[in-house]
Amino acid sequence: MSTQFFDVKVVIQNVTKQFASEDPDVGLALQDVSFSVHTNEFVTIVGRSGCGKSTMLNIVAGLLTPTEGDVLINGRSIDGPGLDRGMVFQHSGLFPWLTAIENIEFGPRNIGTSKAERHALGQGLIELVRLKGFESKYPRELSGGMQQRVAIARAMAMDPEILLMDEPFGALDQLTREDMQRELLRIWETRKKTVLFVTHGIIEAIYLSDRVLVFNPKPGFVRKEFIVDLPRPRQKSSPDFMRYYEEIYDAIH
Amino acid sequence: MKKSTTRSTRHAREGKIFGLPEYAVKIITVVVLVLLWEFLSHTGYINPLHLPRPSILISTLWELMIVGYPTGITVWIHIKATVWRILQGYFLAAALAIPMGLIIGRSYLLDRASNSIITFARSVATISLLPLAIAWFGVGEVSRVLLIAYGCYWAILTNTIQGVKQVDTNFINAGKMLGASRSQLFFRIILPATLPRIFAGMKIALGVGFMVIVAVEMIGTIEGLGALIQQARFYYSSNIAIDGMIFIGIFGLLISIVLDWLEQILLPWAVGLEEVER
Repeated sequence: MSTQFFDVKVVIQNVTKQFASEDPDVGLALQDVSFSVHTNEFVTIVGRSGCGKSTMLNIVAGLLTPTEGDVLINGRSIDGPGLDRGMVFQHSGLFPWLTAIENIEFGPRNIGTSKAERHALGQGLIELVRLKGFESKYPRELSGGMQQRVAIARAMAMDPEILLMDEPFGALDQLTREDMQRELLRIWETRKKTVLFVTHGIIEAIYLSDRVLVFNPKPGFVRKEFIVDLPRPRQKSSPDFMRYYEEIYDAIH
Repeated sequence: MKKSTTRSTRHAREGKIFGLPEYAVKIITVVVLVLLWEFLSHTGYINPLHLPRPSILISTLWELMIVGYPTGITVWIHIKATVWRILQGYFLAAALAIPMGLIIGRSYLLDRASNSIITFARSVATISLLPLAIAWFGVGEVSRVLLIAYGCYWAILTNTIQGVKQVDTNFINAGKMLGASRSQLFFRIILPATLPRIFAGMKIALGVGFMVIVAVEMIGTIEGLGALIQQARFYYSSNIAIDGMIFIGIFGLLISIVLDWLEQILLPWAVGLEEVER
């Protein structure tokens, strides 16, 4: 399945992240991590909490700088955040003082997109994430699932090549989470993006991804890689799905 | 969804008490307390010189409005003088404290450096600065307004600093990912995120202003509710002193109602936010 990806979008090259700490073993979050993500590929990092998967995502985002190593996007080394990457956070990434549509238009407004263009863009995204009628609601007036729809739309508003998602459905209840997983795949298939997704849910990882990377905890590195060769939509109860589950479960533990 | 449900059920419960709307309960409470006070006064257990009964206070109020005390200076003149002083001091404090708080809150170094000085300065009771203020600025309006400003300043400053420091890093990170420049991060994220806390500080500061006013009006002026109370003190006119207190209380209450209302209009997204998140 990975043969459909022609070129490499993101390259993580020998990245090590050492946080300031008295005990060097505690501060070492990532050690010599290398992997790459192809254009339009959906890659998920799974691992126990504290395995450095969020740190990895923040480094790719440019919000953290690696102690050693490099992140290349389209062959060029990154220097801080950029509009080629959009991010969806687990908690409170939405600005509570802005309505849903204002949150979505936040990015375009920063770069001086005209009002008319912003409006058209915002409406298109509201339709994409199916929130018609909720444009002028404040985040706290929306359910958790709706908030994450807005967060996805907001990240998409800059039309980034890469979508970085840090446990975006982790705070949702089971049923909403499954809805959002289907929604995310639908959005990903409508507007092709390269996705780097972080979760501790094995089922979520298999359901969504082309490839699953299992991270080793403390220090973090890619312990094992799984190419999920199952047609979409995937049946979570199918024997093949279960086989992947067992293999990944064993790799984590 | 869960959050808003909890809120609405709580409000539904708060809305009615024994089938009465909240404001009716508040009014009835005051009326009952006043009637009780009047009744107890008539039994003779309370010395009217110590605590005049409500009916006397009302007739005194009437005199204060028509004749004035000292004669010619009606209560309206007192109120105007007091409110004007408070507003000047209050807005002067806000104009200085908000920008200063934003700057200190953003700088780790400044925050550490100023921390103890601020705690020290806000512990100094404003009234104790009265002699110093008189020495520096005389007994005129300048001293009074500056002392009110001093009292209000620290509450607004400390709340603004705390507000800036508590801005969720997720907001800043989200802003960076969405192409916000340094000034956009400040004006489109840090400032709006801090506004509820600035507003909280402004509410506290207003209370401080009303506490300081009486003291600063006790010297060098015969206009103002504080001056009225001071004059009444010389003649043991506790009825006038109490009426002055009542006016100050009423104004404190009115202005805080106006501030709550302003907050609902200016920050609709933040109303009750602290409650919900607790």
